[in-house]
Amino acid sequence: MNTALSVLVDSTLITFVFALAALGLAVVFGLMGVINMGHGAMLTLGAYFTWFATTAGVPFAPSVLLAAVGVGMIGLGLEHFVIRHFYDRPFETLLLTWGFFLITTEIIKIVFGTDLRTVENPLPGAIVFGTVVLPAYKSMVALTSLLILVGLALLLFRTTLGIKIRALVQNAEAASLLGLNIGLTYKMVFVAGAFIAGLAGALISPMLSVDPYIGNIFLVRSFFVVIVGGIGQVLAGTLIGSFLIGGSETLFALFSGQVVAQTIVFALAIVVLRFRPAGILRTR
Amino acid sequence: MSEKTTTASAAMRLPASMRLYSETTVAVVIFVLLAALPLLVSGYSIYILPQYLLYGMLAMSLGILWGFTGILSFGQAAFFALGAYAMGLAAKWGVTGNPAYVGLLASLVVGAGLAAVVGYFLFSVGVRDVYFVLVTLALSIMVEQITVSQSQITGGYNGMFVPRFSLSFGVGPELDLSSDAAIYYVILPVVAAVYFLLRWLLKCPMGKVLVGIRENEDRVISLGFNTSLFKTAAFALSGAIACLAGALYGVHANFVSPSLAGVLFSTEVVVWVAIGGRESLLGALFGAVGVSALSNYLTAVIPEYWQLVVGIIFVVVIVGFKGGLAGAIGRAFGGEARNGGRE
Repeated sequence: MNTALSVLVDSTLITFVFALAALGLAVVFGLMGVINMGHGAMLTLGAYFTWFATTAGVPFAPSVLLAAVGVGMIGLGLEHFVIRHFYDRPFETLLLTWGFFLITTEIIKIVFGTDLRTVENPLPGAIVFGTVVLPAYKSMVALTSLLILVGLALLLFRTTLGIKIRALVQNAEAASLLGLNIGLTYKMVFVAGAFIAGLAGALISPMLSVDPYIGNIFLVRSFFVVIVGGIGQVLAGTLIGSFLIGGSETLFALFSGQVVAQTIVFALAIVVLRFRPAGILRTR
Repeated sequence: MSEKTTTASAAMRLPASMRLYSETTVAVVIFVLLAALPLLVSGYSIYILPQYLLYGMLAMSLGILWGFTGILSFGQAAFFALGAYAMGLAAKWGVTGNPAYVGLLASLVVGAGLAAVVGYFLFSVGVRDVYFVLVTLALSIMVEQITVSQSQITGGYNGMFVPRFSLSFGVGPELDLSSDAAIYYVILPVVAAVYFLLRWLLKCPMGKVLVGIRENEDRVISLGFNTSLFKTAAFALSGAIACLAGALYGVHANFVSPSLAGVLFSTEVVVWVAIGGRESLLGALFGAVGVSALSNYLTAVIPEYWQLVVGIIFVVVIVGFKGGLAGAIGRAFGGEARNGGRE
């Protein structure tokens, strides 16, 4: 009983961490259809910026914000100089964002070196509820992830900007005929995705050791989260996808090793893609 | 789309034999020169060149898939590593007969079989484009993880020893592959044979259907072709070639480790093919040879910046030179119509 409860808690926390890592991709890939293979590099950048700021003496919370803004700015540059010219060519975007990953990783290696870096855990310790032990920092990240999801939901469904973005997703041509500035809206969505990815990388950094490939752990998983959850289902889809990819990995890891668990989850995700190509939430 | 159609029709105005003529000549000359090379030089370059040629074979396995069928795979390294492991296991388990032949056969069967199963599973319901890319990316991660986790079989992170086998031919003495020249003269003909086999295949009706799928799959379907079967066949062929290249690579390097299946190596193949020219097999082959040779040289000179340079070249090629080096050379020498086959 006790183990069952702690596994449940563990899977829930992992689900929210995965949702946070995947959310930037869910925005860029899910809403705009841009295959951002540089998503992992954006997470990595967020982690490194946080490491840089905290070692320079900036407190943790402002460091996270600085990191997210920094990655958002890089996203702006990437969108403005490269991506916006290729919106109608998904293959080229895929390759170009992979090129962004290659270049960014090398620049990170040159600037920050290849050694493992650690960001000090700002909230060590645990919260104890009877028999359940919650790691304090992980819980805080899960809570932040939930808040960002709610914030994004409010933005998309309760504001004029949200209506514009949804109109663009539904029918870009009609939206532009009705006077929507498509280029600017795309740009804002892409930058928002980069900002969220940077934020995620920053928040994840104290949980793992930071190396130039840290984001890649999440790249393929994030894509599967978005695909399994359903393209365009930014909120419910991301959560369900994260639960199926991240939560089930925790469950499988009980019976086999962590590595085997991830292999099983990837295989299952491919099967889901085969039978529900539009994601779990949508019927064909 | 309209731009693509006009260049394609411009290329079609020339008879097919003329367009293919120049690349075949160039290929024959290069292979003959490569065959003569060990007579002139020896030492490190003869040791390392077969490895680059096998990278080139791996690149051709992607070229036929990406450049000619329009299916991009980020998982070619998975097949490459499986081939190398097949050779290692054939030696380790001491299979009956000559383990070298058993391993080579096994690598072909494993490569074609895995690709056919995964390909048909997905292509038959219309999983395509970027979704397929992501599946192949996952495939390469899965193979890497399986080889890491099944360490009692594969040696885990430490990798696995692969011997340089001896080849027997029924008659005459056995050919011991431990000398660099011997293995050079085994690998070079295989790579050349794969090149000419693929060139021949592209001239066949099947090749035309594959190019048709790249240009407009819906139109090929409406002409009555079962495109999922053709795509599965292309992927199986590509998997078999990648696996065979890996098997030979394992023997040549004496070693295989999980990172050979990894995402980074997988996507390096994409970079080679993009830079060499995705729509030319010769471009893919020598894109791989050239980039890895330069890489080897420049890693010693500018270790920190070389990968960055490759990344920048890759982006520049994707943005401005879709045909890669082969396309650029073709345009320089043969004008619009003769640049490495098409476009």
